[in-house]
Amino acid sequence: MLKHYLSLAVKVLMRRKFFTFISLFGISFTLLVLMVVTAMLDHAFAPMAPETRQARTLGVHNAVMYGPHSTWQSSAGFKLLNTYARNLPGVERLSLYSGDGTVHSYLGGHKIESSLKRTDDEFWRILDFTFVEGGPYGTADFAEARFVAVINVATRQRFCDGRPAVGQTIEADGQRFRVVGVVKDVSEMRQVPFADIWVPYTTAKTDAYKREIMGSFHAIALARDRASMTQLHDEFNSRMLRVELPKGYTNIVAPFETHLQVVARQLPIGDRKNPESQVWRLVALLAVLAVLFALIPTVNLVNINISRIMERASEIGVRKAFGAPARTLVGQFLVENLLLTILGGLIGLVMSFFVIRALNVTGILRYAEFGINPRVFGYGMLIAIVFGLVSGVYPAWRMSRLNPVDALKGGVSR
Amino acid sequence: MTRHLLRLIWNRKRQNFLLTLEILFSFLALFGVVLFTMHFVNNSRQPLGFDIDRVWSITVDRKENDEDPAVKSRHRATFRQLLIALREMPQIEVAAASFTSPYANWSWGGSIRLPGGHKFDHGVNSITDDFPKLFQMPLVNGRWFSREDDAATWTPVLVNVRMAHEIFGDVDAVGKVIPEERDPNDPPPDPNEKPQVRRVIGVFEDFRKDGELSTPEDFMFQRVRLDDGVPKENLPGRLLVRLAPGTPASFEETVVQRLMADAPDWSFEVQRADVMREGKLRQYTLPLVAVGTVAGFLLLMVALGLTGVVWQSVTQRIREFGLRRAKGATIVNIRRQVLVEMVIMTSLALIVGVVLLAQLPLLPLPSDINVIPAGVFAASIAISVAAIYVLTLLCGWYPSRLATKVQPAEALHYE
Repeated sequence: MLKHYLSLAVKVLMRRKFFTFISLFGISFTLLVLMVVTAMLDHAFAPMAPETRQARTLGVHNAVMYGPHSTWQSSAGFKLLNTYARNLPGVERLSLYSGDGTVHSYLGGHKIESSLKRTDDEFWRILDFTFVEGGPYGTADFAEARFVAVINVATRQRFCDGRPAVGQTIEADGQRFRVVGVVKDVSEMRQVPFADIWVPYTTAKTDAYKREIMGSFHAIALARDRASMTQLHDEFNSRMLRVELPKGYTNIVAPFETHLQVVARQLPIGDRKNPESQVWRLVALLAVLAVLFALIPTVNLVNINISRIMERASEIGVRKAFGAPARTLVGQFLVENLLLTILGGLIGLVMSFFVIRALNVTGILRYAEFGINPRVFGYGMLIAIVFGLVSGVYPAWRMSRLNPVDALKGGVSR
Repeated sequence: MTRHLLRLIWNRKRQNFLLTLEILFSFLALFGVVLFTMHFVNNSRQPLGFDIDRVWSITVDRKENDEDPAVKSRHRATFRQLLIALREMPQIEVAAASFTSPYANWSWGGSIRLPGGHKFDHGVNSITDDFPKLFQMPLVNGRWFSREDDAATWTPVLVNVRMAHEIFGDVDAVGKVIPEERDPNDPPPDPNEKPQVRRVIGVFEDFRKDGELSTPEDFMFQRVRLDDGVPKENLPGRLLVRLAPGTPASFEETVVQRLMADAPDWSFEVQRADVMREGKLRQYTLPLVAVGTVAGFLLLMVALGLTGVVWQSVTQRIREFGLRRAKGATIVNIRRQVLVEMVIMTSLALIVGVVLLAQLPLLPLPSDINVIPAGVFAASIAISVAAIYVLTLLCGWYPSRLATKVQPAEALHYE
């Protein structure tokens, strides 16, 4: 039966090529936009190297300190994290690192701009960087504040013209570092690992950071298992209640969170002073935006679908007169529409492949490699099917309600 | 005739309702894009208030919290030394320091409550005396900051034309104290602190920090002093220099090395003001270009869809048209009927749309959203309305010709 529907559907679609074309154009363009957005979200949030252990990782990325009359928002300070984030229950490893800052180097009259992150040695054990040369700096390098650096491939290209860099010395922000390792580029959208140059934070120019409650530091913790993630989150929050705060401030909120939770809490509609998960806000916002965007294409497709049905009124009339129940007709039309949307979805997928390639080439985001992986493809097809059903249900219902006598005469749309 | 057409539309109300809905949504989407484009166009015609030719901005990271008075005093001395060092370099025409600079992503704001309860927000920047000279800023009235302000017992400030008008109306603002009233909702002031008296010493044209596309706002300059007369005052975050003509880009390294020699613990980030400008403009235009591209494709999709739907309904009604022609209607009459039906439906959608949009200015939106002038708003509605009429008429044009292609006799037994 399904096979029969399909072959019928193909015939119908081939008969009115203009209608098929405008349907396909609308569907594929809509899905193209949704798929490019999906690929970007996937690139930002899904676990991927070097964050291969993301499912067990939580981080403190944003802190809010407030009192009755003032609010201070920034990253957490080193002192806060060093005092309270150590020895949390259920934590396998903990790394503290500073947010990346732009530093400049001058090489033969040229300026080189790089992002520099100051980290500890544990950073390299929690994150799974791919080394193309050398290796990370170790505990001794870190503890003795040796001026060593790990750089990415792009930086090696800038400083050494692509030649092996391990053992070379590079200058950044007025300090000189010996390169010990070279890693593959990491996308700017992956805030935790991203940088061009990584050095031990013990080499910082001053030790002023050691006295800061609020500052520019982040912490990432690798939990033993998923159950201990809640435990460490709760324990750290309760420790935050005991922090000695500067004058004028009464509370500090700096929870251990996942990527999604960080973004959700920072949304304009998010509550920054609430340390609990607000991912639902992010999901709701994305859903509302997607529905708003799909509104015009859906109404457009519904209109086209109705036109297509009315054109086939006599065919429907015949089938009704011979006793086809409404359900069968609705089913037939939905299959037809699904076939069309999936076809449009595939065209959209091919187009999004090119759009994404173009986006990667423009380099709007440093080292970002958006891509269509099986997961994104799956999301895309799911979107296509939902879109097909939503835009098909109302026209199909209209079709099933056609009066056979009118339909036989060529359709009266009242 | 119109009554008759309305009845015909009413007879096909379900389908026409969906068509009207589609036109309505398209109108709203188009309006959004047109509104922001018009807003930016309007902003770009307002005076900017500064010139960034040959200016470099140097962000200073002092790496150390200066809440401790001893640290602050040490930093202040270093800062003073850095400015002297810059001024001594022959390639530098003017050097100044400030909290933030044009096109930078740092901003600072304040709010003032006038007697009578009128409260408004304004941008603030704190600047050294050479800052206006460096940016070649036009002064409208009064004078810029200078050494004579050192001895003042009140706080000297400069305001832009817009802010002077907001506070003093058409009266000359120079020499006047900004009248301020405490907000009853605010916490009571610290009794140990002397209340600040701010006196306007000059009015400048404008300082639109975020550049050509930003919305003009009230703006105030405060004076930064680097001597030890004001130990509590915050230090600036930037050094600014205007270079002599013909200075090569490689001079940057020399500048940074010179600064590092005096402040080895600090970090300096040199940016050319014109490069910063490009980045800032992109922040404004990139989202608009992305949304505009998507909206353009949506409208194309809608246009094709409408054409298809009208085409189909014309084909279906070909017998009706045949009958009318048999009874003496001319080709022009028939074509007109199809187009007028289209116009009526478009008008219905647009009336609903305009009524909806007219509610927007009446909503109690936060003041930072509610900045679009009424003229820009009205113009955007007019442009969008016209564009939607053109679009729907174009969509009806080809099908309307189709309606009269068939001979009346043939049309009457058309199947």
